[in-house]
Amino acid sequence: MKQGDTIEIRWHGRGGQGAVTSADLTAMSAIHEGKFAQAFPSFGPERRGAPVLAFNRISAEHPIRVRSGVVKPDIVVVLDPGLVTLINVVDGLKPGGCLIVNSTRSIEDLQGEFSGDWTLAVVDASSIARELLRVNIVNTTMLGAMIKTAGAIKMDSLTEPLEEKFGARAKANLEACHKAFDTTVIGKITVGGQKKVRTFAVAKQPTWSELLVGCAVTDVGSTKRFCTGDWKSQHPVWDDKKCIKCGICSLFCPEFCINQQKDGYFRSNDFYCKGCGICAQECWTQAIKMVEEA
Amino acid sequence: MTAKRIGIESSLAIAEAVRLANVDVIAAYPITPQTHIVEGLAEMVANGHLDAEYIPVESEHSAMSSCLGSSAVGARTFTATASQGLILMHEVLLVAASLHLPIVMVVTNRALSGPLNIWGDHSDTMITRDSGWIQIFVENGQQAFDQVLCAFRIAEHQDVLLPTIINVDGFHISHVIEPMYFLDQEAVDGFLPPYKHPHALDPDKPVTMGCFAMPNLYTESRKALDTSLRESKKVILETWKKFGEMTGRYYKEVETYKAEAAETLLITMGSYSENAMEAIDKMQSEGRSVGLVRIRLWRPFPYMAFLEAVSGAKNIVVLDRAMSLGGPPPVCSEIRSALYPQEKRPQVVSVVGGLGGRDISPDDFEKLIDIGLGRIKIGDTSETIMFGVRE
Repeated sequence: MKQGDTIEIRWHGRGGQGAVTSADLTAMSAIHEGKFAQAFPSFGPERRGAPVLAFNRISAEHPIRVRSGVVKPDIVVVLDPGLVTLINVVDGLKPGGCLIVNSTRSIEDLQGEFSGDWTLAVVDASSIARELLRVNIVNTTMLGAMIKTAGAIKMDSLTEPLEEKFGARAKANLEACHKAFDTTVIGKITVGGQKKVRTFAVAKQPTWSELLVGCAVTDVGSTKRFCTGDWKSQHPVWDDKKCIKCGICSLFCPEFCINQQKDGYFRSNDFYCKGCGICAQECWTQAIKMVEEA
Repeated sequence: MTAKRIGIESSLAIAEAVRLANVDVIAAYPITPQTHIVEGLAEMVANGHLDAEYIPVESEHSAMSSCLGSSAVGARTFTATASQGLILMHEVLLVAASLHLPIVMVVTNRALSGPLNIWGDHSDTMITRDSGWIQIFVENGQQAFDQVLCAFRIAEHQDVLLPTIINVDGFHISHVIEPMYFLDQEAVDGFLPPYKHPHALDPDKPVTMGCFAMPNLYTESRKALDTSLRESKKVILETWKKFGEMTGRYYKEVETYKAEAAETLLITMGSYSENAMEAIDKMQSEGRSVGLVRIRLWRPFPYMAFLEAVSGAKNIVVLDRAMSLGGPPPVCSEIRSALYPQEKRPQVVSVVGGLGGRDISPDDFEKLIDIGLGRIKIGDTSETIMFGVRE
């Protein structure tokens, strides 16, 4: 089925970061260039903060027929710095492919995370987005890094789709895209150059005969083991000097994961905190700051 | 066992069977031609003759939802409906099957709108065909009484735990007074063990029912449900054997009537089978080689028993009392797919008739068989015949 000249891209992000928009804009730009292209998300329940995927296929020659998710990408773009240690982002990445990561970490540091014959590109997209867009949504910024590293689309062809999608905000987004293009650092990953080997858990799937009658779940409280803390890209940090111990943060936390400690101050439980920032928003004395995940 | 012979309307006999089964919950919304069943039950509960909760709901969707809840806590649950009521339940019917909740339901089969029609055919239950419910057809009031009792034992068996529909033709069975034999309470109590769901809802032993399944689990869940439904046949046959030993009334997945060595077989389901028997008797007396095969178990479909029943036939005339608009009718479609892998296949001709209460008398059945055979003779069996339609 796979047609020879098709470029396949897999975007890794978190719900709300705009990975789907990145893929949409990429496809719209490629179509604008007269190519065949598709963009689609990993279909499923949308949850802000949960790891999500989006996909592109681009071909200069043929209409795209394959509608399955991209499992052997030519290009992988990671919008969230934390995902690199959480998910095997290079799964199926073709030899000679590109890995493009939003991170404050140095390229040397990140090179040590992977082993393969790949190009690695690193850009501090979060800082660029916060500076130029005043929000940590890096979809358009990461497009700049992708164009610089892999050139799947041309920078010029992005203008029209961006204006269509963002209207008055297109200019700032284009600026962020250009800044990422200019500041992306490109290097190489080598086979065997990995310094830190990570293992990623693969859940065991039951066979049909292992399911309980009616798919009942008798494992009481199994949701407690669901680490929603994996979803966050920011976490709350308390300045106890400003804290008046009112407990508003705890009251508003939709995850009920902020608890009062023995000293009377409040802290969040990292295992469950999704990093939504409602506590920081609600805090009367502005004692809570949301800090980026490393 | 002493059996009392009485004359009673089939709907009330069904209500009596439900009372004897000592159900815990009945949730129903009245709809023609099911009303006499649920009115009978409501009266029994009101008069204290049946110690059960009768939930008078505001719609069939709510009726089936209530049944779902009561069955899930481990209460023996009954409902009855027909036609539009059955299809209003539809969303919840599929959930009942997937949750393995052994609700027993009588469907007094009736046509579907439109045009609005309150009379009998099988359109309503055919739309429920793929829902995961066990489906059994009966041909008279006695069978309705018997099969309701059997249904509780089948549905609630620990190896089955599946909801079960007893299809009782609207009016032609439901509203007919017939002689029948009832069972006494002791016999029924001995036949029906108490219902216990292995994961019943219980605050002291929490369980999640009806959870979400991603693409990585949904296929397995459907395979598990399909396997349970297919394998329920073993329990169905065991139950009928035990019931036969108790009452002398034996039931089979596929039953035949004077079918041995018959060249041509008519296939029917439900009450019109008895009209057809009259026609078979007459035709055989005239030297015609015709017989009758009645499918009692519609889901799970009894492929092997069916193939065995028709193994000697040259011609098969299938009567469907429902249509699949734009495609082959459901029973014939099932039969053709059962026969396709066979090396020796009879000719099959499809007839639709008896829609929306249109009668097919014994005389009509003779005509119907002859029209079918006529088509086979000229080698034109591709189209379904609409019996009795005015051209």
